[in-house]
Amino acid sequence: MSRLLVVDDEANIRLLYSEELADEGYTVETAANIAEAVEKLGQQSFDLAVLDIKLKNESGIELLQKIVKERHDMPVILCSAFSCYKDDFSAWLADSYVVKSGDLTELKEEIKRVLAKKSQRRAAGM
Amino acid sequence: MEIAAITDWECCWDRDSIAMGDCPNIGEGDEDLLSSRSRRILEKCCECENFKRDMVRFRDSGHPLAPVFSILHADYRRQKTQIQSLANFLDTKTLEVRFLHELGSVLQSSVDLDEVLSVALTAITAGKGVGMNRAFLLLADKERHILKGHLAIGPRSAEEAGRTWQEIESGDQDLQGLSQLFLKDKLTAERNKFHDILERLIVPLDDEQHIISRALEERKPILVTDAFHRQDLDIDFARLLGVDTFLVLPLITRNRRVGAIIADNFITHRTITEQDMRSIETFTFPVAFAIERASLYERVQEEVDKLRQANLRLQEQQEQLVRMEKMALVGRITSSIAHSIRNPLMVIGGFARSILKNTPDNDPKRTFIESIVTEARQLEEVLGEILTYSDALFPTCDFWDPNQLVESSLRDVQERAVAQDYTCRFHAGEQLPAVYIDFKQTTYCIRNILLSTIDGLHNGFIDISTRAERDHVDVRIVDRNRTLSEDELEALLTPFTETCEMGSGLNMALSRSMLDKQNIPLVVVAPPEGGVTYTIKLPTRKEEQPHEQIAGS
Repeated sequence: MSRLLVVDDEANIRLLYSEELADEGYTVETAANIAEAVEKLGQQSFDLAVLDIKLKNESGIELLQKIVKERHDMPVILCSAFSCYKDDFSAWLADSYVVKSGDLTELKEEIKRVLAKKSQRRAAGM
Repeated sequence: MEIAAITDWECCWDRDSIAMGDCPNIGEGDEDLLSSRSRRILEKCCECENFKRDMVRFRDSGHPLAPVFSILHADYRRQKTQIQSLANFLDTKTLEVRFLHELGSVLQSSVDLDEVLSVALTAITAGKGVGMNRAFLLLADKERHILKGHLAIGPRSAEEAGRTWQEIESGDQDLQGLSQLFLKDKLTAERNKFHDILERLIVPLDDEQHIISRALEERKPILVTDAFHRQDLDIDFARLLGVDTFLVLPLITRNRRVGAIIADNFITHRTITEQDMRSIETFTFPVAFAIERASLYERVQEEVDKLRQANLRLQEQQEQLVRMEKMALVGRITSSIAHSIRNPLMVIGGFARSILKNTPDNDPKRTFIESIVTEARQLEEVLGEILTYSDALFPTCDFWDPNQLVESSLRDVQERAVAQDYTCRFHAGEQLPAVYIDFKQTTYCIRNILLSTIDGLHNGFIDISTRAERDHVDVRIVDRNRTLSEDELEALLTPFTETCEMGSGLNMALSRSMLDKQNIPLVVVAPPEGGVTYTIKLPTRKEEQPHEQIAGS
């Protein structure tokens, strides 16, 4: 069972992700800001993180850079209301980019795809 | 013979009244002289041959008063001749003053250079004016420091002269009438007629020896005679005019050399008198002044036109700037609003889906939940469109094949077109140069135009063509199925408005905004007789993107 960390400043969105992704069989932990996310990342291990880019006064990109720097093996999916971040070079560090939607199908598919890719890499010894 | 003995005087001076026919010098209109002896003697008898013979008889009579009377009679006649001469002079001057007044009035009323020149030259050559045969006008070209032949008037042959003068005679027109006739019907013809002479009438302003320069320097007219044999005159100049006598009139205002007029009697060879020269001299100043004023007015007009053009361009640029600022502002606001709305919308839609998943098919509440899901999805689509609009402010340009661009757009709308029985006919231009564009955005724009075109209609044609122009490639989309009013056209290109014909105006406004951002003109023409033509002018060269600063600010 894969463990996911969802970081979003909106409580209802965290709740929605938790419910929906739990239904898909994932164990979901949530964080409302960077400090909370960093704390959880320090205490537990996760297979994948779903990050919102706009976190009140913080930036999900900043957290993404931190994760990439410290946890090379953990893939990250960026989730944002802004499609324009797709063209932001910093966002390219992420494994995937999903535009926020009430229909979580795309997010779920991306999680599956990214996790499968991670498994393949592990199997290949990369 | 004693004087008292003479009774058979030939003249009628000794009778108080006479009958018609008694005096050979009294005819119709002079009836009142028949009964007025004193007036008859003063006005008629003194000049009468009968009276002269009576005077001889009186002298021969040896009367002592005869010589005295003879002296008085001779002096009376001399004074009468002088008075007559003065009266003639006054008449001439009166005519001249009248003519000058007329000329001044006409010249003052016009600021049109051609009209002023027509008046000036007509005044010199018209019989009612100075009555010279021909006149040539040279104007100063201050940039080139020359005087150059500009206009001429007059006949080139005796035959033409006879015809023209008869025409003028029968017309009985005043100076203004004649000059207007000349301006309207003859100005260009006269200019062409004298073209060979005018183009060779070039005098350098610094050629101090030239007769025209001398006239300008001395500020007075010069009457040139014996032109073919004078040492101080360029023989070629005389040959060019073809006359040995002509008048050179300088045109000067204050200290400015405006030009010169050359006048001659090429046809009649009438001697140019000192009087002719003085007559013409009197009106050279008003003519020079009017020419300068008209030239200045012409230059002012040119500057006004330039200013008007510049103002128009400025206005267009200002409008474009305002439009771009509006677009950029709209982009920022919509982006911010969209972000604020998207999260709650996502929560609503997401939870509605979650609930729906766990709601049995026969649950009556399922329909309501489905409605929430559908509405939330539609709102998300609208938000997506709005966010794309704000994204449009940041294009990424590169060189692309214009035909590939159109084909890609056509592929995107193919399914929809087939569903609506629409045929898109693409006429691809050959050997087109690559165009410098943001491929994604430009494809989006073409697709939007195509979708707007077929929106709500069935069974029609759209013609799309590509064609190379000088520094761009035109993509032209012709929709023959719609008719748009001016208001509908304006609304079509304004964000967030709706036209009754074409649905949401955002797509088209977005397309325009995207193209504006890339500095690509979108021209939409909707003539009243129907049809709409969209022309997108794709640049073939990489140029500065003037709107980037606005968008980025």
